Amino acid sequence: MSKILVVADHKDGEVRKPTLELLSHTRGAGLSTDALLIGQNVKGLADTLAGHGAGTVYVADDASLQYFSADTYAAAVADAAAKAQATQIWISVSETGKALGPTVAGRMDAAFVGDAQGLEIEGDNVTVLRPAMATKVMQKVRFAKAGVKVITVRSGAFDVQPADAKPANVVALPAPNSNGRVVVKSLEQEESGEIDLGDANIVVSVGRGVKGPDGVELVRPLAKRLGAGFGASRAVVDSGWMPYNAQVGQTGRVVTPDVYFAIGVSGAIQHLAGMSGSKLIVAVNKDPDAPIFSVADYGIVGDLFKVVPLLIEEVGKVKK
Amino acid sequence: MNILVPVKSVIDVELNIRVRDGRVVEDGMNYVLNKWDENAVEAALVLKESQGGEVTVVTVGPDRSGEALRKTLAMGADKAVHVNDPATEGSDAHGFAKILAKVAARGAYDLIITGKQAQDTDMGGTGPLLAAMLDLPLVAGVIAIEPQGAGKLGIRRLGQFGTEVIELALPALITASDSLNEPRLASLRGIMQAKKKPMEVLKVADLGLSAGDVGSAGARIQVVEYLPPPARSAGKKFEGDEAETTAQVMNLLTNEAKIFA
Repeated sequence: MSKILVVADHKDGEVRKPTLELLSHTRGAGLSTDALLIGQNVKGLADTLAGHGAGTVYVADDASLQYFSADTYAAAVADAAAKAQATQIWISVSETGKALGPTVAGRMDAAFVGDAQGLEIEGDNVTVLRPAMATKVMQKVRFAKAGVKVITVRSGAFDVQPADAKPANVVALPAPNSNGRVVVKSLEQEESGEIDLGDANIVVSVGRGVKGPDGVELVRPLAKRLGAGFGASRAVVDSGWMPYNAQVGQTGRVVTPDVYFAIGVSGAIQHLAGMSGSKLIVAVNKDPDAPIFSVADYGIVGDLFKVVPLLIEEVGKVKK
Repeated sequence: MNILVPVKSVIDVELNIRVRDGRVVEDGMNYVLNKWDENAVEAALVLKESQGGEVTVVTVGPDRSGEALRKTLAMGADKAVHVNDPATEGSDAHGFAKILAKVAARGAYDLIITGKQAQDTDMGGTGPLLAAMLDLPLVAGVIAIEPQGAGKLGIRRLGQFGTEVIELALPALITASDSLNEPRLASLRGIMQAKKKPMEVLKVADLGLSAGDVGSAGARIQVVEYLPPPARSAGKKFEGDEAETTAQVMNLLTNEAKIFA
């Protein structure tokens, strides 16, 4: 019997959209699915997961799980997977998921495929469509051996179907043994109060072309007016002009918003790989040969310090 | 501090990549040291410079992979291991990790550093799988390392919700982000010295593995087909006076893309 275990992604007391996408798909396709919550004070989210179709919700809720650690989180996943007799484990792609997926596979002696952008599922026959080589190619990957399959799935692979919460069938898991090898002393949260890049329908990103913190502040109001997430290229975060968690690219966040504004971003392949799946791309750059124009639907070759104030003004007119 | 750095020779993804009949056209392609592995080597060298010890690099792959190893030796790594065996052809991350685990077991390493992912597969599986197989603690996507003495490292990791400030007990495995450092260029002297540094060449049998454990035979996943990425239609590019070009694009955003609807 095929059984999928979805490892839930959550933030600030809410189940995040990538998890609802996974559950919406398994519910729509009638695939037998359980879910797993890991963290501190997360029990309350179980009903949301049940409403979206999780048969049983396993909950590892403990102070020691406040922060992600591959050691403890993978132990919780392995425990839940054994109890659920899961044949597939689905984890959404994030900096947590990217470390957790292969760690779980290693611990459980399971097979691992990362970064699925599409899945063809027939029972436990799964074919994964995924980008590779900085998204310059797509791969169709199949599992060559029997056994548990661990798959990390990108956001946007499936649509969310709305569902009301319902009382969950909860199985509490014991806190994994924390052997103290990895101790997260603190989490430096930056950029609070703004829209999460992964959840934003519009993303505005700045690149080296903004020249410094003043340039960043010039563009920020554009993101605000658009109700957009505010991102950056690696050059910008490495220069300390924007926090690391704003970074869009293969290092950092892969985003697929409806509209992506690249302001002063030249378009290194690692950046393109993190945003070229956006539905519509708008680029502003003074270099007409900048690689960003190769993926842009609309491009303005010009001085961003002139263009951005104009954009802010125009957007203000149409978005009251 | 003795450090092992597994590296990979990968197809140069900066070049144009073509797909024909479900395969990547390898004719005329270059192979280079994986970008994130350069960050891993650099981090190892910096640690060696302050803490002492030795940096060993290892790769699994055909003859051409030796070039990647020589590059890391020229950067300053002390010795290299090249698992060069046709049986490893077609290995997945699991297969690579299995081989690397055997190599790691032959030495006493305080730390293993891999790149966060390889540019050819972009999967990021080998490092974490290797950590799990060796039962080592893992921190993936490291952006800063600070030795703390007493078998500990202070680590900063780019996490999902911010920068995680971590105390890591050694031995351990970490994977390097490109924000960790700027890899050094090999000096001419380094390139000359690299030629004299030890490079051990091994077959899988030397590591106690059989051909069936690795390569296509042992792989748990298999790429059935390569496809070109979804094509983007040609964009519209506007040059000239910013007031005009901005108005043109705003018009398209409003009336063609209808993003404000």
